[in-house]
Amino acid sequence: MWAILSGIEGNLTAYEAVLRDLKRQSVEIEALYILGDILGLQGPVEALLERLQSPQGGERTPQICAGFWEDQYLQMQGWGGGQPEAALSQYGSNVLMELEKRVPRSCLDWLRSLPFGFLELDCLLVHGSSVSVSDELSPQTPPWQLLDYLVRVEANFLFCGRLGQCFSVQLQNSQISSQVTTLDQPLIEQKATSSPRQIIGVGSVGRVSGLARYTLFYPTTGQIRCRTVEYAPNP
Amino acid sequence: MKIAVLSCIHGNYEALNAVLLDLEQHKAEKIYCLGDLVGYGPYPNAVVEMIRSLDIPTCQGCWDEDIVEGLNACECSYPSLLAEQRGKLAHEWTHERIYPEVRDYLAQLPLSLREGDLCFTHGSPQNQHEYLLPEMNAFAALERVLSTGANTLFCGHTHVPYVRTLEAGSIRLRVDYKGESGEETVFTTPLRRIVNVGSVGEPRHGRPNATYVLYDTETDHVQLREVEYDYQKTCAAIIEQGLPPIFAWRLARGLEFAERADDPSHICER
Ligand SMILES: [Zn+2]
Ligand SMILES: [Zn+2]
Repeated sequence: MWAILSGIEGNLTAYEAVLRDLKRQSVEIEALYILGDILGLQGPVEALLERLQSPQGGERTPQICAGFWEDQYLQMQGWGGGQPEAALSQYGSNVLMELEKRVPRSCLDWLRSLPFGFLELDCLLVHGSSVSVSDELSPQTPPWQLLDYLVRVEANFLFCGRLGQCFSVQLQNSQISSQVTTLDQPLIEQKATSSPRQIIGVGSVGRVSGLARYTLFYPTTGQIRCRTVEYAPNP
Repeated sequence: MKIAVLSCIHGNYEALNAVLLDLEQHKAEKIYCLGDLVGYGPYPNAVVEMIRSLDIPTCQGCWDEDIVEGLNACECSYPSLLAEQRGKLAHEWTHERIYPEVRDYLAQLPLSLREGDLCFTHGSPQNQHEYLLPEMNAFAALERVLSTGANTLFCGHTHVPYVRTLEAGSIRLRVDYKGESGEETVFTTPLRRIVNVGSVGEPRHGRPNATYVLYDTETDHVQLREVEYDYQKTCAAIIEQGLPPIFAWRLARGLEFAERADDPSHICER
């Protein structure tokens, strides 16, 4: 069984609550993924980073990819060739100062080393979409767009975290006809079908104080469970 | 109204003139150009000047972008390693000869243009370097059109013309959200079309003739045009001007020698 988390956003207490919940599971956790947004506005990051890098008694070492906040922080520090415009437009002009306060400069190299995502078995695990960390996939995203994200990487499952909510969209038995005319060949008619595929929003561990959400996934059966963990937030 | 859509002129002034004559004979009232004005061919400045003097609405092609941004703009500008080696030579050649005002013009070209339910772009709406090949996954192809909001997407970049109609698509979906399991719904995809207009100056459909497209907005009819011209003139100029002779050889055969994409679906994540 895999545990898939996203959006801790500096909330160490929420992360600890999830780890405790994982220990209570009867099935062994074979992999622990964190789909970005380790950084964020919910708390200072230093202690969290230390915790992530030093798993205790039987905990899995988390596999971490970059998220929206990591991307924006790197842009802010002059990496990535852009400006942190998305953060500014979505969270206001104070956001950079607030982020700077919570993130130690010493983690810059570590942040730069984070991968864009993971492709494991027939699963793509990313923060946003297969195209960008800033894409916010949701149940409202047009189905043809969702399907395209999966088709691009030839995956059957796409796990993402940008929305910060648990959701699942199952795309079944998709089909389409296509006709191609060229200069020389006769008309080529094709019927394309697509096997069932699924987009899963894995929830957010740290965004809502007192309520952590993450996802459990059984790769052998394809079963998905959204876990909600209540905990006492820091005063 | 009859619209002519051209792409990938690649500094081939002879071919451009032949196409302009042909579309005039067919009474095209408006011309759109999908970029790649420069690269490979011997007359990049003259081609740009002609396009500008005729006020032809033009999108930025992959070559136009690379000449402006420098080759480091994208490590994956070329479909294959062999294409890359040859392309680099052509890039340097073009880079050295191009006028500053031509570079400025190429720099300000838009990535796509819209007219009514038509969208014009070089590679794909998201990226000048993406190849929309006719065999691309139909759902992925449909997404490229739907993302523009247009009914018909005109593109180039592959240098081989085709028309692809996508229809009768359906996606069954079930949504679980906020703890609730939704009903199964069926999303029907609308009829959409991709028109690849081929290449004026560097065709790869197996013959040296220039290709472009005529589109009638009233009848919705697409006509793939193939125009003969004196390609030997361009071939001679390629060699005279010191460009890699392989470009002349390739032009004379209309072959995509060394240009077959290793991974056509690859997109530069810049
Ligand atoms: Zn081209
Ligand atoms: Zn191109």
